[in-house]
Amino acid sequence: MAQIETELQLLKTEAVNMWTLVNSQLSKARQAFLNFDKDLAREVVLKEKRVNGSELKIDRDCENIFALFCPVAIDLRFLLAVLKINSNLERIGDIAEGIAKYIIDAEVPFSKELLEVTRVLPMYEEAVNMLEDTQAAFEKEDTILARSVFKKDDFLDGINKASNKVLENHLKEHPEDTPQALWLLSIIRKLERVGDQSKNVAEEIIFYLEAKVLKHSKKFA
Amino acid sequence: MHASNVKYRLGKSYGFQILTYVLAFACVIPLLAILFFIIKAGITKINWHFLVNVPKPVGETGGGIANALVGSILIIIVAAIIAIPIGILAGIYLSENRKSRLAYWCRLSTDILQGVPSIVIGIVAYFWLVKPLGKFSALSGSVALAIMMLPIVVRSTEETLKLLPDSLKEAALALGMPFHRVIFKVIVPVGISGILSGVMLSIARITGETAPLLFTAFGNPYLSTNLTQPMQSLPLLIFNYATSPYNDWHDLAWGASLILLLWVLFLNIFTKLITRKWKVQL
Amino acid sequence: MESTIIKSRNFNASFGTNHVVKNVNIDIPRNHVIAVMGPSGCGKTTYLRCINRMHELIPGATCNGEMKLNDENIYEMHPIFVRLKIGMVFQRPNPFPNLSIYDNVIAGYKLNGVKLPKAERDRIVEHSLTRVALWNEVKDSLNKKGSFLSGGQQQRLCIARAVAMEPEVLLFDEPTSALDPISTSTVEELFHELKVNYTLIIVTHNMQQAARVSDKTAFFYMGELVEYDETKIMFTNPKDNRTQNYITGRFS
Repeated sequence: MAQIETELQLLKTEAVNMWTLVNSQLSKARQAFLNFDKDLAREVVLKEKRVNGSELKIDRDCENIFALFCPVAIDLRFLLAVLKINSNLERIGDIAEGIAKYIIDAEVPFSKELLEVTRVLPMYEEAVNMLEDTQAAFEKEDTILARSVFKKDDFLDGINKASNKVLENHLKEHPEDTPQALWLLSIIRKLERVGDQSKNVAEEIIFYLEAKVLKHSKKFA
Repeated sequence: MHASNVKYRLGKSYGFQILTYVLAFACVIPLLAILFFIIKAGITKINWHFLVNVPKPVGETGGGIANALVGSILIIIVAAIIAIPIGILAGIYLSENRKSRLAYWCRLSTDILQGVPSIVIGIVAYFWLVKPLGKFSALSGSVALAIMMLPIVVRSTEETLKLLPDSLKEAALALGMPFHRVIFKVIVPVGISGILSGVMLSIARITGETAPLLFTAFGNPYLSTNLTQPMQSLPLLIFNYATSPYNDWHDLAWGASLILLLWVLFLNIFTKLITRKWKVQL
Repeated sequence: MESTIIKSRNFNASFGTNHVVKNVNIDIPRNHVIAVMGPSGCGKTTYLRCINRMHELIPGATCNGEMKLNDENIYEMHPIFVRLKIGMVFQRPNPFPNLSIYDNVIAGYKLNGVKLPKAERDRIVEHSLTRVALWNEVKDSLNKKGSFLSGGQQQRLCIARAVAMEPEVLLFDEPTSALDPISTSTVEELFHELKVNYTLIIVTHNMQQAARVSDKTAFFYMGELVEYDETKIMFTNPKDNRTQNYITGRFS
C-alpha cells in the first residue's frame, strides 16, 4: 500500500473514533436529561476535553498529509471533508456539553407534560439518529444514507419552529413552568443546531464521495 | 519560379542521385575485379596436394605451399602473443588516464607508429634481431609484425573502452571492488567485442604484410617450425615465386594469392560476426 | 533510543579550488530515511559521494573534516571496506549488461572473487530480490540478462545488488529521476520497507518525493546545510526562510 493510503486510513479511523466519542457524549447527555442524572452530566463535561484534543489532533494530521503528500482528486476531497466534519463534530460535542451543563445547573427535573407537549424527546432521539447515520454513511461510503439525513433535519426544524407557539400556549396555562420552559427552549435550539451540523456533515460526505457541492442549494431527498 | 526552372532543378537532382549510385558501385568494382581475377587464376591450382606439400625444386611438377601456410600461421600467432597483451593493457591505460603526460606521449607514438612504412619496421627489426643473432629467424619476423599490430590494438581498445559509460565503473566501485577487478571483471568483459574486433583487424592487416618479413623471416623452401630459423610465409612466397621465371612457381603464386585473399576475407567476415554476437547491449 | 550511524562534523569538499560543500554538521540516525534536497549545484550529491568515498575518485577532488560511521572515521578506513558497509544506488539504473539477473545480484561477491557455496548464493539472491519486491517478477528468468527489464525493475535490481552486500547504510543518488511515475512509486514504497534493516540517505531534487518518503530532511543550499529537521516540520513550518522559499517554489 502506498504511504498516503496508510495515512488516509489512519485519519479515517481517527475521524470515526471522534464520531463515536461525540455520539456517546450526545447520548449520555440525553440519558442525563431523561433521568435527571447529574453525575452522568458531569462525566459529559469532563470528557469534553477529549473531544477538543481529538479535534486538534485531526487538524494537525490533515495539515501534515496536505504538506507531505500533496493529495489530489478523491484524496483531496476526503481531506477537505474531514477537516470540516472535524469542526462540525466538535461543535456537536460542545452542544452536548452545554446540555449537560444545563442538567447540572437545573434544580428540578422537567415536567412530563412540558416534555411531551414540546416533543423534545423524539427530537433528541432523531438528532442522535442523524449523527449515527452520518457516521455509518462515512464508514460505509454510502451517499444514499447521507442524503436521508436531510429529511430528518426537516423533522427537527419542524419541532423547533413549532416550539415557540407550543410553549407560549403551555405557559398561558402553567406560568410556573416558565424557568423550565426557558431552559427547554434553549435545549431545543441546541438540538436544532445539532441537526444543522449533522446536515453539514452529510453535505461534506456527499462532496467527498461524489464531488457534488450541495451546500447552500435546494436539496432533493 | 518558372515551371521550366523547377523541371531543370528536379532533373539536376535526379541526375546527381544517379551519379552517386554509379560511383558507389564503382567502389565495389575493384574488389569484385580482384576477387574474380584471382579466383579464376588460382582456383584450378588448389587441391589437397597443394596444401600439404612443400614446393618442389625447379623442373619438377607438383608441390604446394605447406611451408608457407604453416609459416604464416606460426609467425602470426607469435606476433599476436607479443602484441595483444601489450596492446590491450596500453589501451586500458589510455582509456583510464585521459590527461596524463604519459598518456599524451603514448597516444602520439601510437599514431606515428601507425604511419611508419612497413619496410622501415622490417629494417629496424633486422638491425635489432637479425644482425646481433647472426641469422634470419621467424621470431624477428614476428617482432616486426607485432610492432605493426600494436597501434591498431591499442587504439581500438582505447576507443572501445572510452565508449563505455562511466556508470558501469561507478557501479563496480560502489560494490567495494578494487580497481584492477573493476577493469578486468567489469570493463573489459563488457567491451570484449570491440577489443576482439580490434585484435582481429590487426591480424587481418599483418596477414598480408610482405616488406617486414623480407629481411627478418626471409623465407625457407622447407617446412620448418623452428622460430629461431628462417621461415616461409604466404606473402614472401608470392613475392618470390611470382617474379621468378618458372611457370610452375607462377602457379604456386596464384594459388597462394587466392589462399591469402580468402584468409583475409574470412577474417573480416568472422570479425563482423563475432562483433555482432558478442556485443553487449548497454 | 536512537543511535547515530553517520556523523559529520565541519565537513568540507572541493573540486580543486571550487568549494562545493561547506562546513556540514549532521547526525544521521539509524534505520531512518533521510532525504537530502536542494537546488542544482548545492552540493548534495557531492556530500553523498563523500560518505562512501566515491568523491575522491575524481581527479582533483578533495575533502576534509570528520565523517564517522559508527564512531569510526571513514577517512581512516580503507575505502574498499567503507564501500562494503555503505552501498550506493545511482541515478541511471546500471545493472551489469553482460551478466544475468542472478549474477547481477551477487556481483558484489562474484566479481570480488569471494567463493560461496551454491546454496548460499541462491539464498542471497532470493533474499535480496525479495527485499526489493522483485523476486516474484523475475524468479523464472534469473538467467536472462538484466538489460531486458523495465527501468523500474532495473533500478530495483540495482538496489538488490547493493542490498546483497548486507551494508549498514544505503545511499541513493536521485534514484527515481530516470524512471516513469509508476516505477518511481514502486521504488518509493521500497524505502519504507528497507529502512527496517538499513539506514537510507536519499538525494533528490524532487521535494515532493522528499516529503513523501523521508523521516528527516536536510536542505542544502550553495554548499551549506541550511536546515535539518523532521520532515513533517520542514514542510509545515520550516525555521529558515531559505527553506520556506525553496519548498514554496519562490526561488527564481
